[in-house]
Amino acid sequence: MNKHILILVGLFVAAALYPMTPAAFITVGISVLLFTGWATSWNLLGGWAGQLSLGHASFVGLGAYFVAIGSSQFGLAPWWSVLLAMLVAAVMALIWGKLTFGLRGPYFALSTIAIAEILRLIAINEGWLTGGASGVFIDTLPEPMGIDLFDKTTQYYLALIYAALTIAVTIYISTRKFGYELKAVRDNEEAAMAAGINPTVIKLKAFVLSGMLTALGGGIYGVFLSFIEPHIIFNLLFSVQIALTVIIGGRGTIWGPAVGAALLVISGEIFRTTFAQANMLLYGVLILVVILALPRGLVGEYAHRLIRKKYANRA
Amino acid sequence: MQTVLSAENIKVQFGGVIAVNNVSLTLETGQVLGLIGPNGAGKSTLFNAITGFAPVSTGKVTFLGRDVTHEPAYMRTRYGMGRTFQTERPYEEMTVLENVLVAAFLKNAHRKDAERVALASLDRVGLLDRAHQLSSDLNLARLRRLELAKALALEPKVLFLDEIMAGLNPPALKEMIELVRTLTATGMAVVMVEHIMEAIIQLADHTIVLASGNKIAEGTATDVINDENVIEAYLGTD
Repeated sequence: MNKHILILVGLFVAAALYPMTPAAFITVGISVLLFTGWATSWNLLGGWAGQLSLGHASFVGLGAYFVAIGSSQFGLAPWWSVLLAMLVAAVMALIWGKLTFGLRGPYFALSTIAIAEILRLIAINEGWLTGGASGVFIDTLPEPMGIDLFDKTTQYYLALIYAALTIAVTIYISTRKFGYELKAVRDNEEAAMAAGINPTVIKLKAFVLSGMLTALGGGIYGVFLSFIEPHIIFNLLFSVQIALTVIIGGRGTIWGPAVGAALLVISGEIFRTTFAQANMLLYGVLILVVILALPRGLVGEYAHRLIRKKYANRA
Repeated sequence: MQTVLSAENIKVQFGGVIAVNNVSLTLETGQVLGLIGPNGAGKSTLFNAITGFAPVSTGKVTFLGRDVTHEPAYMRTRYGMGRTFQTERPYEEMTVLENVLVAAFLKNAHRKDAERVALASLDRVGLLDRAHQLSSDLNLARLRRLELAKALALEPKVLFLDEIMAGLNPPALKEMIELVRTLTATGMAVVMVEHIMEAIIQLADHTIVLASGNKIAEGTATDVINDENVIEAYLGTD
């Protein structure tokens, strides 16, 4: 059996026990898990397929808004809303990718910024649906089998299942044809074509999958916040944070996004509570140090050195 | 013998520059076609036009009875073309085995089968002991063999070799020539762009000489190297 599955099961059990410890910080835990899920989803496109997105907040926002609007305007249960959001995310990724994947270099990345901006403007201006600039509020949620979705511990477990799902998808892909197609397109498009791979199709698949999984996490985020404001959720800095989480943790790795999420969320929390004013400065320095010292990210650099060491030992 | 590839009056034009001008060729199963000519003659461009990496302005490429003139490169690969690149293009963040695995997945959807084909390809080119090394750590001669292993793992009907022999020392050259010979023995057809005349003389059944985009001579290797036009193209006139 794949060792990554064992690690995932182990971590899942440990994380599932965490809320029962006396000093558990549930909201920090939820943040780590949601960022793990978003970053892992981003990684499928940004890390494995090598297409830098600075607009993944769009998908998070899509999920959150669908859940909130579904509940407040249509009385739709969040699981249906989130499925709908994933479908819309898939269509959006497909159209957006078709328009932009023909472009080379930084143009795709630039276009992703524009998409979040467009969604933000729609959310602000279509007030009849979205509540406009003041946002939308979730006041009631169904209670499936008596489970209170407003309860933070419930939300923690939802986030845990979500994070585990995204990692499981990555593990599944990593040893299969699709995983190698993604990496081939990232490393050298012409060589990939010479191997019979259609780069555009591979990138589109990655984008659709990444967008759908991100929207799923967005739905959970919507329930967690229960109040969604357009300028907060469709924020460029939020998109950048998702990307940074992976860049620091390790692009194109299985565990990089989770490591990045834990590091950034927890250190961000500590810096914020202990250093007040200096917190963004320290956060910035941390990011800089990791990028300069470990350009492949923490897990990426570790894996890279491991391969080299193994080979040196054999030879 | 069966015709696997034919190119008719291929012209490749980039703006005002005609890189390949009305060149035709045919290739049969198990045959080796050599493409030679001085630098800038259009060999690589012709090669790219046939494999789908350069646009054909006019003319027609037929592969296994199918008109592929305007098919993208990846489709031609799926039909059975396998190529190497003159400047090696490894997937640098992958190991040597994974590099070949990408190609092996074309005909083998399952990892186990793909891995078997990839390992066999690596064995053929003598890179098996390097399988778990990062491809970015290979030296130039090994990178070139990796290119060949990648093309072989596609299990192609026609193999296109772009200066695969360049820079090899004599024993390595001999090995490579031997390897190509074993491939053709299985019925695989080969098109090779090559500067190493020894390889052309030993392997090519038919040789085409290009100069300034035009076909200036063709025939057996010994015929063409004694052709006056060819000598002139390489060395110039008095």
